[in-house]
Amino acid sequence: MGRENPAEKALGLLRRRLCDPSFVFKPFSDSPDSNYSKLKFIISSSVTEACNNSILLLGPRGSGKIAVLELVISDLLLEFPDMISVIKLSGLLHSDDNCAFKEIARQLCVEHQLLFSKMASFDDNSQFMIAMLRECGLAHKTIIFVLDEFDLFSQGKQRLLYSLLDAMQSVSSQAVVIGVSCRLDADQLLEKRVRSRFSHRKLLFLPPNKEDMQRLLENILLLPTDSTFPQDYTVQFNAKLQNILADERFKDVLNTYINTDSTVNYLLKFLFRAVSNMDLVTGFLSLENFKTALSNVQRQPKLECIKDCSILELYILVCMKKLEIKEQNSYNFNSIMKEYKTVHDSFQTSDYYAQNVCLRAFEHLLQRELISFTDSRGNNQSIEFRPVKLLVSSHELHQGLKSYRSCPAILQKLMAG
Amino acid sequence: MPALAKRKSSSLASRTEHGGSMDLRSENTGRSNGECTPQKRKLRSNSSPMKASPVSTPMKRTSPRRSADVNLNTPENGIEGKICKRLPKLRKSPVKSLLNDFTAKQNWNPADAEQIRAVKEALHVSTAPSAIVCREEEQKKVLEFCKSCIEQEKAGSLYVCGCPGTGKSLSMENVKQILLDWAEEILGKDQPRKRSNGSTSPLQLLQNLYSHKPQSSGRKMMIIIADELDYLITKDRAVLHDLFMLTTLPLSRCVLIGIANAIDLADRFLPRLQSLNCKPAVITFRAYSKDQILKILQERLTALPYTIFQLQALELCARKVAAASGDMRKALCVCRSAIEMLEAELRESSNNLNCSSVETTFFEKHNDPDVAVVKKQEIDIVRIDHMAVALSKTFKSQVVDTIQSLPHHQQIILCSAVKLFRGGKKDTTIGELNKSYVDFCKSALIPPVGILELSSLCRVLNDQGLLKLGQSREEKFKRVTLKVDEADISFALQVAFWPFPCLFIVCLCETGNPFLPKLSSVSSVKSSPDSFVLDFGGILFQVLHPLQLQGISALERTHCLKAFTQMRKAISSRGECATHVSFQQRVDF
Repeated sequence: MGRENPAEKALGLLRRRLCDPSFVFKPFSDSPDSNYSKLKFIISSSVTEACNNSILLLGPRGSGKIAVLELVISDLLLEFPDMISVIKLSGLLHSDDNCAFKEIARQLCVEHQLLFSKMASFDDNSQFMIAMLRECGLAHKTIIFVLDEFDLFSQGKQRLLYSLLDAMQSVSSQAVVIGVSCRLDADQLLEKRVRSRFSHRKLLFLPPNKEDMQRLLENILLLPTDSTFPQDYTVQFNAKLQNILADERFKDVLNTYINTDSTVNYLLKFLFRAVSNMDLVTGFLSLENFKTALSNVQRQPKLECIKDCSILELYILVCMKKLEIKEQNSYNFNSIMKEYKTVHDSFQTSDYYAQNVCLRAFEHLLQRELISFTDSRGNNQSIEFRPVKLLVSSHELHQGLKSYRSCPAILQKLMAG
Repeated sequence: MPALAKRKSSSLASRTEHGGSMDLRSENTGRSNGECTPQKRKLRSNSSPMKASPVSTPMKRTSPRRSADVNLNTPENGIEGKICKRLPKLRKSPVKSLLNDFTAKQNWNPADAEQIRAVKEALHVSTAPSAIVCREEEQKKVLEFCKSCIEQEKAGSLYVCGCPGTGKSLSMENVKQILLDWAEEILGKDQPRKRSNGSTSPLQLLQNLYSHKPQSSGRKMMIIIADELDYLITKDRAVLHDLFMLTTLPLSRCVLIGIANAIDLADRFLPRLQSLNCKPAVITFRAYSKDQILKILQERLTALPYTIFQLQALELCARKVAAASGDMRKALCVCRSAIEMLEAELRESSNNLNCSSVETTFFEKHNDPDVAVVKKQEIDIVRIDHMAVALSKTFKSQVVDTIQSLPHHQQIILCSAVKLFRGGKKDTTIGELNKSYVDFCKSALIPPVGILELSSLCRVLNDQGLLKLGQSREEKFKRVTLKVDEADISFALQVAFWPFPCLFIVCLCETGNPFLPKLSSVSSVKSSPDSFVLDFGGILFQVLHPLQLQGISALERTHCLKAFTQMRKAISSRGECATHVSFQQRVDF
């Protein structure tokens, strides 16, 4: 392959980084205060001291709970090569106790190279699990149970949770139960017996604050200074990026984006869009990339629809709005035409069209679903007599009028007044 | 659920191999979750003789659980001897303090991993204590009941109830052990087991056994311990009834002990027994009181030869847990996490020490060695502040933290929900919420998001358990309820941000507030140099000049005046009446 454009390589590298959760969360593993270190300390002390433990990871979706957990587990597997085995269950798939025990038995069999029989009954599977726990406890192997969507396991009789937590009450077993959930009150959903056996450790995954956000951005977007890229290109790229990150306008864009959802996952989606907009000719990221990404994300489909409407259609919409304000609960095309005539009479507009032209405009609006009939049946009435309603809110209409390219001032006045 | 029981039964099974003890098997009736299933398969662990004691054998790699010299001919009560076996090992651990000679107990060196491990193990829930304190009364009652039944060779039933974590299963294990030993002394050897064949169900088998004359003389008594009895409750309550009716059969020789959480289980689910006059006796295990928890904790820690906890720390823990639930497991958990706090502090201080190690060595040479040692000793025990942090982590709810860290729009949604529900309504639709939300956004000068985005934000809040969304075909008509307390939201968001861009709001105008006129009279208020009107979200507030406020102290008046002038300046610079405001916690406007 010929000389690859360093810009393309950089783009590929950045995209790869953004899709790899373990890369994204790695910088948080240094600080002793982070969730990574706390989790690692708890699990490793359980493994080394051979005691049982249970812990709950809570946080909104996309805040990196599973990513951090995976990081911790892979690090621990390197540190203690033969002393850990991991069983993963998901509340979406295995919330039924039968399925859960079957899956546990299957994973244990795979791990220890035993034969798994699909015909094993529920009792057999649960016996097997308890026996395996005891065996592994004697062999000083810790079993880590990862229960994803923990709140879904607490539906029903909670037999799986009870058996797991109860098995951990005996000295002979060595297990760690890690529950991952996005519900804050996941432990309130447990029965009191199960809750009593569950140790009340919780790790809260909060969205990153300003310094963490800055660190995250730098970690992802700055190119490495080793020899994968030509030196001067890297230096220039990084310098430009630092300028952008320090720019006030960038901070505004970022804050507007994060006002809706401040989880890390959401931020990564935004960065991916921005990075994909990178201009390959110059080879550097610019502020415009981020701004376009923001506007791509914050689309308002109805506003765009309104922008495509003709002036007559806008008139019809505004008349419908006025009728609604006058508290006429149901109106049809004819009443809209009356209102239209009144407007024309009072303001002497130049946009007065005949009835059939208006009807065409009305049908356009119906097709574009900016308005619709209130009843879906029809009753064999013709279009002019069926009651209609607006499908855009007055705020959206107002916005649409404001951003319309050549909106007649009368309409604005009608909307405001 | 008898995890403990299983362990004991395995030791039981292994002891029957040695022969000589009475075979008091606990049987399983049909589909119950009762004690344990018959040991059909011998696991590898059972066959090795070391398994007689619950302490595990040394395996190939160095195990954290050392087995001290395991005596095969251990005393009958396997549980009691466990901690004693470990003591000789512990005393060999190095201790660094100089004050060793003067204190009765040695000082603990938390940097020693071995000692930390021993302490944590002594406090772990799965470690059965050497002596079960604070439950002597209840155990005595159960023992007397069982002994009388066994001596008179008649059947009986007993029901043990209590909250989780009150020591029911533990006490029953102990009772079982004591009974076994007692029975061994008094009664003779066991009878050979009879194989059952045929296709009769186990229930019928048992019923036959107890209704007809015995084939061989001197049949043994059977004690059935059924834990987590409420799992046996079926719709027609047949299983429970059959189980308890076994004790009422004419020639029945079984003593049934049921364990559950509900106090009135016997009354609610076994009404028929009342008529037969054989209702089970009820023994309640009350939740632990503060003194009992303290006693139990100290009992667990006496086995170790050093002081780990400051006495006040233990008392704080006992008091808090007793006030909350009286659950012993929670107390043990809190103590363990207090030790972890200590470890964390040590790690931090050792990191700091490493940086300044030169200075400390310099000081140590010149200062009194006792002082240096005393300083070191202060980190050595778990103090009351460690315990306080551990308690707050266990008992605190995460709601306030989460709400404070939510993104702005989600916080606005929560506030608009609070505002909507102030009037006494308990739920609303997304359409209404949208209107309220848009009003809030207008007053906070943040551009609102569209309704599609709003409903997806509501779904995110629903996932987190802060809101509850109903089902509906149309997005606009989904019902929304708040699941978090309104007070939590207002507390979480009462942070003052000044001046702009603003966060919130959370207003809190209460009609009983003496500082604020009633809403009905607001329309007549005009803006005057002394007060101004705020319009937010459609509700008008009059902010009075602080000099007009009655009944506040001078300090509060100064605060109010400051806030008032700031607000007025901000509003006049904006040129409009409606604006966003922020409130400090002390001032209630």
